[in-house]
Formats: sequence, structure tokens, C-alpha cells
Amino acid sequence: MAGITPLFDAIWDDYMFWSLVVGAISFGWLYHHTYFYRAKEGESPNIDDIEVGVFPKDYDNLKLEVTWTVLPFILIVWLTYISWAPLDAVWSQTGPDGYHGSECPEGESSANFIDDSGYVRSTCYHEIGIEGQQWFWEFDCYGLSEDICSTGYATVEGELKPHLILKAGETYLAEMTSIDVTHAVKNPDFGMMEDVVPGQTTYLWMPAVEETSFLMLCAEYCGDNHAYMIAQITVE
Amino acid sequence: MSKSSTSRRLALLAMLAIAMVVVPAVTSLPAGISGVKDTGCNCHGTETSSSVTASISGLPEAYNASETYAVTVSFSGGPSVDGNMNLGGFNLWASDGTFATLDDSTQLWGPAEASHSESGNDQRSWVVDWTAPDSGANVDFVLHVNSVNGNEGNGGSSGDMWNRADITVLGFGDAPLPDVDPFKVLATLVIISGVMLSIVVMYIFYRKNPDSFDWENFSPWISEWLTSTDHKKIGTLYFVQGLFFLGVGGIMALMIRMQLAIPDNDFISQDYYNQFFTLHGTTMIFLAAMPLINGFANWIVPLQIGAPDLAFPRLNAMSFWLQPVAALLIFTGVFSGQGADTGWTGYAPYVVTETTHTGVSMWAAGQLMLVASSTLTGINFLTTMAVMRAPGMGWFQMPLFSWSILVANLMLFLSIPAFGVGLIQVYLDRTIGTAFYDVASGGDPLLWSHLFWYFGHPEVYVVIVPAFGVISEVIATSARRSIFGYKSMVYAMAGIGLVSFIVYGHHMFTSGMSPTLRFITMLTTMLVAVPTGIKIFNWLKTMHGGSLVYRTHTLWTLGFLVTFTLGGISGMFFPSMGMDVHLHETYFVVAHFHYVLVGGTVFGFFAAIYYWYPKMTGRMLDERLGVLHFLTAFISYNALFWPMHRLGVVGMIRRTHTYYITTDDFNALPEWAADWNMLISVSAFLFFASNLILVYNMIKTLVRGDKAPADPWGGWSFEWMTSSPPPTPSFDPHNLPELKDANEHVANEPGIFGQMFRRLMVSDDAAEEGSH
Repeated sequence: MAGITPLFDAIWDDYMFWSLVVGAISFGWLYHHTYFYRAKEGESPNIDDIEVGVFPKDYDNLKLEVTWTVLPFILIVWLTYISWAPLDAVWSQTGPDGYHGSECPEGESSANFIDDSGYVRSTCYHEIGIEGQQWFWEFDCYGLSEDICSTGYATVEGELKPHLILKAGETYLAEMTSIDVTHAVKNPDFGMMEDVVPGQTTYLWMPAVEETSFLMLCAEYCGDNHAYMIAQITVE
Repeated sequence: MSKSSTSRRLALLAMLAIAMVVVPAVTSLPAGISGVKDTGCNCHGTETSSSVTASISGLPEAYNASETYAVTVSFSGGPSVDGNMNLGGFNLWASDGTFATLDDSTQLWGPAEASHSESGNDQRSWVVDWTAPDSGANVDFVLHVNSVNGNEGNGGSSGDMWNRADITVLGFGDAPLPDVDPFKVLATLVIISGVMLSIVVMYIFYRKNPDSFDWENFSPWISEWLTSTDHKKIGTLYFVQGLFFLGVGGIMALMIRMQLAIPDNDFISQDYYNQFFTLHGTTMIFLAAMPLINGFANWIVPLQIGAPDLAFPRLNAMSFWLQPVAALLIFTGVFSGQGADTGWTGYAPYVVTETTHTGVSMWAAGQLMLVASSTLTGINFLTTMAVMRAPGMGWFQMPLFSWSILVANLMLFLSIPAFGVGLIQVYLDRTIGTAFYDVASGGDPLLWSHLFWYFGHPEVYVVIVPAFGVISEVIATSARRSIFGYKSMVYAMAGIGLVSFIVYGHHMFTSGMSPTLRFITMLTTMLVAVPTGIKIFNWLKTMHGGSLVYRTHTLWTLGFLVTFTLGGISGMFFPSMGMDVHLHETYFVVAHFHYVLVGGTVFGFFAAIYYWYPKMTGRMLDERLGVLHFLTAFISYNALFWPMHRLGVVGMIRRTHTYYITTDDFNALPEWAADWNMLISVSAFLFFASNLILVYNMIKTLVRGDKAPADPWGGWSFEWMTSSPPPTPSFDPHNLPELKDANEHVANEPGIFGQMFRRLMVSDDAAEEGSH
């Protein structure tokens, strides 16, 4: 169930594994102690001679305490390390060092694919524009040819919503801004989101690998019609 | 002025204040002004006249949707005879549908109200078109007619007569239930809760001494509560306020869940939905969780450190009384149907735009008062703990609950000014037109995010750290052991306090903030797991070799350990940015913070209620009801919040009025998401209901519970030394208790913090020597 995109899948599985390990240790320990060290019927021993008005005698063990300071620390260093690589994929820079190369010359295709690690790689990308406004989206294909990018309207639950039609195998970089308040583009099938901030330009990769059609949502609360500020994106 | 008349005035003043709050709340609800149809138009003459007969014709027995009918209204009888200067007039009102005029003898006073015009004054019958609604509901018509004798020029309407006719046209099919204003539901529930609270207060007063149940005794009693500076009374006030708003916030949550139970629901409109989730967040954090914590802090901290009261009792009273006033301000918008609708985070620039409700200004003003209240509380507690610890109690002999309050107040004290600054900017932007967040004038939307989250992230730790303190107390007492690793517990809390200030950027991973900052906060956020992990493992180790006594507060503590650990693990998914860009603003986030705030803070303070209630009231809570409360609440709680994780992973986002299910045309949420939402909504109601068991338990045992001994659970700190309930002042200032230490080291030797602090203070000895 976990996966929305292969990138997410890989890191999710790692995290789930370590969550299960930590959970198993904590809960195993909890269940064992709460059962094994429960008070027996009619028995109420005062193990550490606790007395009102007397600070109880110390009960500690430096070795143990250091152990469960250092071990979690090592674990989070590892988790940080495995979170590092996807970072480059999510916010890849443009140009030859990035995952998606430079902007495509006219007529050239991104020819994107998912590599063994679950990252999308492309030879080049196309730039498109997304503008947010209370409470609708506006797409701009920046003069790309019709078969790569086109806009229109689609009917979603009886209402006309903006529709962006992209081509499978192409990678897009959305240049986004808002003309009033902060919105956010959330593309569940591409698995990434980024805020759309007035007075600023933010960028979001939209790697269209497979054919799909989904709803693009506004994920930053923006007022009255926030829930209905949606658009349809179709990858053909 | 004698004491009794002062207290009588105070009590009267309080009742007047309550009445002033409640009356506009009731009358200003947008029910409209009862119009002409009730009072009888501009009816000539004072009384109806049976000699005038009004009639309506042309209407069917049952109407068809949207069909137009020609309605003829007429009258006969009365002084209207041919040849008069004027003959008569009418007013026709309908509960639904719309009227349209056919000629110039009639005019419209609204879509559903028609009357004669100047030129139609010389007729006895008129015709208007009425277009039926499509709602299918029954429609009521009310007709008023005047029969005029035409002496307009020489005597006005004297001698004229009027009458009225009523007719109901049936709707078709199953008429839908009339829409209810959600705020009316909320206001009604709040007022009912308020009335019930007053009844409970009266009943408690009555039970104290049934013979003296009169005004003479009641007014000093209630004014004592209103003016008290005793930390225990103020603690109780905080506690009652916290529980009351926990209920109010809960009702709002139920409204939200009703709306989300099925996709594409229209239970409440989007406008109301937005206000409900805004006020739910603000209420729960600021008006429920914080007062609950402050209630216990007020009660327990002076008792634990052996102080007669807080350092500044009057300041303490002021801290509290700012709260109800702030609550009123926050809810002010609701009374006029214009509650704050910005989300509790109130993101700029939306929060300063004109598309927000006017109530947002009052919402900001109310929170400013809470900032003041929290700052005063911070000063008070930090001072109290610094200078009023009992003899023999060094910093490192302070009970862990007091330590947690110290850390929480220090965090709050250092972070809340940022929030105050942000709120002042928002307030000025909204009221006098400054441009802090006006993007067109160069305002920066991210400034608010930085200010808010610089405060907001420490704030959520401010709410959770006191719960850590409670758990440390309860688990050690219940296991009949010393807490494991007392010092590492303190260092871990201090570590959480420190780290909390450098992690807030993870709330802004998708905000367009600088990628370098995002990366740094990713690293620091991961660090939070370390001190939190130490605490969890220390709690687990405390039970080792112990003898765990299963009481209700023990159950809640173990429940806390389960839910908080789960919440902690799910929290580790967010700093990993590759995943966060999938999970940001989804229900995975909602699930996570409800696991730590409800499963952490609320469960922790439920444990605190069961643990300290006997101390606070002198009555033991009913254990059987307590276990029932734990079992029902724990199960329904998990059924409520656990499924949200999965909904978040498949992409259900927060703060939306509806959600979309996959169709043939597009992918959205899978079909089972609707069923899971229904499960969540049902569980929400069960969770709400299960907590009523606690309220019942508290009221029941307060009235006729078993008397509590001084130390029912076997704790060691000073609060168990006093009687239950403790006297006032809590300890005799001339005979303070002295803390002994079961360990061999010299108890009075100041630790490193003590030495640092001592250097800042002029010691009593030095002052004395100087005077020689």
C-alpha cells in the first residue's frame, strides 16, 4: 500500500523496517515488564524504601543510559544518511549534474525512466508555468508543442476544473507563483508538493513517467473554496 | 464597605458579566428579525376586525418544483366601500419561493414578500406570481389586508380595519429537514454545557452545607473563587476551564468528523467547516491543553517543592483571569457568524487579506492576551522554583513534574515573544493598514511562518513535556521504585527544550524556504529522537524489578507509553524530506500530532487527574469507572486516529471540506477511503462519549466519594505530606518542611545551577554582614 512513487517506496520501506525494530523493542520490553513485574495479589512491597519527604535513593546505571543515548543516535545518523540521497532527486538542480539535465531543445524528448534506486532520470526537461489564485489554478505551457503539453477544462464531479495534459516519458519543471495568498501544488501521483507563494517563484519537478490521470490538489489552506481548488492532470 | 457587601457586589458583577456574554450570544445569532408577518404589517387600526375577510386563491394544495402560480389576494368587508379615496392594501409573505409582480399595482419587499404599491391602493384584489421552490418543503403563506375608509387626508388610518389569513401549501415527496446553522448547534451545546456547569457549581455549594444554601452564604463563597490568589483555587479554575474547552473543542471536532464521514457531504457548509477546524486547533492548544497543564502546575508545583504558595500570587490570578477574557475574544467572531477561518497557524498573507472573516482580528487579539498570560505564568513559575524550594531541596532533588514545568515554562518564556510580535503585526495589518504581510508592498509571507513556527514548535513541546513529568511521577510510584536515571531524565528534558528551538524549520519543508535551511532543520529534527528515546527507555527500565500496582493512573501511563511511542515513531518520518514531500499536509500529519498531543498530553493528564484528584479534593475516584473510561477511550482513540495514517499515505489532505474518490476519469483516494472515514467518524463520537465517564466520575466522587488519605499511592514528594485536600497556605511559612535525602551525598550542597544562580543573588548572609 505504501507506494505512490518508487522513490517514496524505497525510503518508506527502510523507515518501516526501523520503525518495526524500534517498536518491537519498546513494546516487547513494555509488555514483558508490565506483566512480569506486576504486583502480586495482596502484596505491596516498598522496593526502594520510598518515604514521604525523603528524596528516594538513586537508581541509575550510567552504562545503560549511555547505551540508549548512543544507539538511537547511531540509528538517526543512519536514517539521516539514507534520507540524503532522495533529497537530490526531489530538489534536483538543473544542468548536467542534476537528475533531469538542462531544458530540452525544441523537438527533443526527455526520455525519462526510473533507475534501479527508484529515481527518475531524464535527458532534459520542459518548463511549464503554474499560477495559483483564490480558488483556481492556471496552467501555462510556455509555447511547448501541443503533443507535449496542452491545457483545457475537465469536468470533476459536475464542475469545470482546469485540465493539464502532459505526455508520458517527459519530465516537466513547474515554475510556480501565486497572485494572492499562499497555495500549494500537491500531485499525489508524482508524489511531491511545494508551496506556491505570492511574490516568490518556487519550482517543482513533475516527472511524467507512466500514463495516468489524477487530481492536483491545493495543500495549503487558502480560504473559502480551498477544498475545491483542484485541477486534473492527465499523462497520455 | 463591609466584607459581605463587597462580596455581594462581586458576585452580582460576575453574574451580570455572564448574562452579558450569554444574552448577545443568543440574540445575535443570525436568525433575522421577526418581520411583518408576525407583527402585522403597517396595519391600520389596532385590532383585527372580524368583519374583514382576507383570502388567497390560485395556490394548489401541493406545489410542483419551480412551477409558477398566479396568486390572487383579496378581501371583503370592513369600511372599504366604492367611492372611497383609497380602498385597501395587502402584505403577502411566503416562507419560501419567490414572488414576481405582474403590473404596477403591486411591489416586492423582498424575494418572498409582496405588497400593494401606491397605485394599487384603490383595489380590493391583487395578483402576483409566485414561483415555487425546488426544495420540496411545505411553504407557509401569511396575508395581511387593510380595509380602508379613505379618510387619508383628514384622519389618517383611523376607522380602518385589518385582518390576516394563513395558508400552507404542501411540498412534494419527502421534504428535506430544514438547515440548521452550525453555530447555533455549537452555541446551544456550549450554553447547555455552561448551564450544566453552573448547576454543578450550585450543587457542590449545596452539598458543602445543605442548611446554609442561601444568597448570604453563596455570594461570599462565589466571590472567594473569583478573587482568590490561592494557588490551589486558581489551579482548580484553570482545570475547570481546560476541561470545559476540551469539551467545546471536542464538539467542534465532531462537527468536522460528521462532515467528513462520507465524501461530498454537505452536513456543514465549507464556510463553517473552515471556522470549525480553525477554532478546534486554537481551542485545543491554547484554551484546553495549556490551562489543563497550568491547572496541575498551579496545584502541584508549590506543594511538591514545599512552598506556601507561588512567588507572585496576585500575578498568578491575573494570568488566569486573562484566559476566559481571551477565550471570549477568540470566539467573538462566532457570535456574528464571522469566526476566524485561517487555520490555527494563520498563514500570511491569507490571514491579513479581505477574504478572511472579520473575526480574525478578534482571534488575534485574544491570542495576544494569551501571550501575556503565558508570559506572566512563566515569570511566576520560574521565580517560584528558583527561590522557594524547601530547605534541603537542591535543583537535582526537585521532583520530575516540577522539573518538567520548569523546562516547559522556560521554553514558553523564550519562544512566545516571537508569536506575540507576529500577532501584533497581523493585528496592525488588519486594523490600521500597516503592510507587514502585504506582498504588494514588499511584505514577506515567510516572515510569519518563521515567527509562528519559532514559537509553534517549542509550543508543542511545552504541551508535551509536562506530560513527561506526570508519567515520570506515576510510573515510579506505581512500580514502587525510584525513577530510573533521575539526572538523565532532567538532562533529556533540558535537551528537548534546547533542541526545540532549532528544529522548527521542518514545518516549512515545502514552503519555498532556502534549501540550506531546510537541510539543516532536517538534521536537527532527527536529533529530537535522542532525548525522547532516553526518556522512554528510562521509564521502561523503572519498571524493572518493581512491583507494578495497577491503578487507573497506571493504566493511563502505560497507554501513554504505547501511543506516545507510536506517535514518536511516526514523527521520525517527517524529517526525512524525501518522504516529507509526500506526507506534508496529509492526514499522516494529522494522525502523528494527534498521537502525540492526545495520546501524549491528554493521556498524560488523564493519568494526572486519577493520580492527584484525591490530593486535590480529598476524595478517591471510582476505580471501576476509571478502568471503564480507560478501556473505552483507549480503544476508540486508536480506532479514531490510527486509520488516519493510512489515509495520509494514500494522499488525503488536511483542512479540506471534502475529499475525492477515484472515478473512471481520474485517480484520487481509493474507494475504501470512504469507509475508513466513516469508521473514524464513528470512533470520534465513541471517544467523545467515553470521556463523559471521567466527568461523571469526578462529579460523583466529589459529592460522595470515599475520603482520601494523605498519601494514597505511596509517593515521596512533599504534596503527599499535606492533608487531602491541603490547607491554606499549603505549608506554614514559618515551619517549612525539610527534604531529607536517602543518598549519602550532602543534600544541601548546591549543584552547578545552584552555584550559578547563587552568584546572581545577593545572599541573606551578605546582606546581613553589610548591615553590621
